[in-house]
Amino acid sequence: MKNHIIKTENISKTYNPDTVPVHALKAVNLEFSKGEFTSIVGPSGSGKTTLLNMLGGLDKPTEGHVEVDGVKITGMKDSKLIEFRLQNIGFVFQHYNLIPVFTAKENVSFIMLLQKRSKKEMEHRAEELLNKVGLGDRMDARPKQMSGGQQQRVAVARALASEPKFILADEPTANLDTSSAMNLLDIMEKMNKEQGITFIFSTHDQRVIDRARRVITMVDGQVHTDEIHKESSSTITENDSQRIDTE
Amino acid sequence: MMQSLNRGSHEIMIDNMVRFHTGYAQVQDYRFEEEASLDNAFYFDNELENRITATNNRIEMVLPRIQTFMLAGNDYATRGAMVMGIDAEKEHAFNNLKDNLISGEFFEPNDRKAVVTAGLAKRLQLETGDVLVLIGQGRFGMSANALYEISGIVRHPIREMDNQTVYLPLAEAQFLLSADGYITNLLVSTSSDRFTNTITSAIASEIDDEELTVFTWTELIPDLLQLLEFDLVGAYFLAAVLYIVIGFGFFGTILTMTLERMREFGMLLSIGMQRIKLAVVVLIETIFISLLGVLLGMGVAWLFLYYLHLNPIQLTGDVAEAIIEMGWEPILPVSFAADQFYTQGFYVFLIALVVFLFPLVKIFRLNILEASR
Repeated sequence: MKNHIIKTENISKTYNPDTVPVHALKAVNLEFSKGEFTSIVGPSGSGKTTLLNMLGGLDKPTEGHVEVDGVKITGMKDSKLIEFRLQNIGFVFQHYNLIPVFTAKENVSFIMLLQKRSKKEMEHRAEELLNKVGLGDRMDARPKQMSGGQQQRVAVARALASEPKFILADEPTANLDTSSAMNLLDIMEKMNKEQGITFIFSTHDQRVIDRARRVITMVDGQVHTDEIHKESSSTITENDSQRIDTE
Repeated sequence: MMQSLNRGSHEIMIDNMVRFHTGYAQVQDYRFEEEASLDNAFYFDNELENRITATNNRIEMVLPRIQTFMLAGNDYATRGAMVMGIDAEKEHAFNNLKDNLISGEFFEPNDRKAVVTAGLAKRLQLETGDVLVLIGQGRFGMSANALYEISGIVRHPIREMDNQTVYLPLAEAQFLLSADGYITNLLVSTSSDRFTNTITSAIASEIDDEELTVFTWTELIPDLLQLLEFDLVGAYFLAAVLYIVIGFGFFGTILTMTLERMREFGMLLSIGMQRIKLAVVVLIETIFISLLGVLLGMGVAWLFLYYLHLNPIQLTGDVAEAIIEMGWEPILPVSFAADQFYTQGFYVFLIALVVFLFPLVKIFRLNILEASR
């Protein structure tokens, strides 16, 4: 019986195979279980973002395959893969990538609209998620009217809205100041611990690495180390919860 | 704008042709089209007038004319002339002919007087009160010669007609041409050109079993229509150039809009929006933007043309004099024909749809990773 939600089997990725081959990933074998709070780290060009893209079905491996919840997503037809992502995977991008003309609530609701949920359910869930990320009072604000940290929290709420099996976050704190980054991490860690939501980050950010319970280090397209931290360096406290709610 | 000015001039030209020359529809003997001779005139009386008028309630009136070519002369010179027997009151009601009098007055129905057009009067050096000699042939080869006092000189808006027309009272012309009760043309008037086909069909049904036939004005002056079409070629060419400019402008806008939104498109595909749905959204946006542009363009064009209608461009100098001589106002008229608005709108809309192919192709070929960077 499987106990993982993501499994990679010998995935390799080679760019420009016919001209100047660049081996971004070399036979990577990994498994991720439900409820993980994992950072994929490594220097630039080590293959961490490529790996994250493979896990999210945004890129296809040259060799090997990726399984999500027992389903091989490698080789899946484009439209089926898009539908699969919609139902199973949440994304948080470095540049937030919110729809500029939508309000925070509309941005969160939009993914549920794609899932064809009822209007009532969309509204209720969007409000609930925005409250959870501490943006209950900014629901009608548009991205331009929000700080980077607030926008990224909307992006997290959006990623959670579709009730995915896991969330992939590519450098989520890269554009945030320390306070915003800590606040965002508090929110994600709280959701991970309280609701068992799986987060996988690709990051350089030591603040993220310090919080992760599993750290995978990539070097030259290969898994260099895969360490389990017994406990993250910071634990959600009563004060942290208050900070999330009020910031 | 160019087309509106061109068509404005054309509409005046056509209106003059219809009102002074052909009528919206015209009843003739079926042989007259082939051989425009008095021998092919037809009998016209109140009964025929009532029958034709009753065929369709869009018919306002019918105008009987008998016309033939004769020699017109005086002591000084002789010229070929179109002698036209008319009902002056009806003609005036249809085309305000009497308003174009430049000297004298129009004859009464029972007068034995003539009205000559200004161009012919000038060529023959005629003035009101002079005597005009008409020499020619009447129906079935009968001799037709007479002297007429000129009661008035009138300016005809069609230059060709202005140089050669002699108006006589209908009864007098019929008597002169040995064609009592006969006419060569029966003009039919209606309130608008859009009823021309309707009234023509109605009349055709009524006179189906007689030796008469009915034509629309477009059938009677195809040469003029072709000439006007040819004249519009320049405007169409200019429009084509403008469409290309508009097309590139539109393409530039859509190109910028699309490229600026690549990250957004990439994100939408990443989170699970199907390409086809995204394409439909962008299509709706394109249609909305282009419709807005089309409606705005039509509105602004209409306002601009309306302004020009109220404050027309005045012509000056020799051009103005030439226009005045033809009996027209020395202005550049504009056309409000509805089709020039919706046709332009349709073409611009079509351009928008063609331009939409660019984002469509982009969306279906979009590499999510490259777009999201």
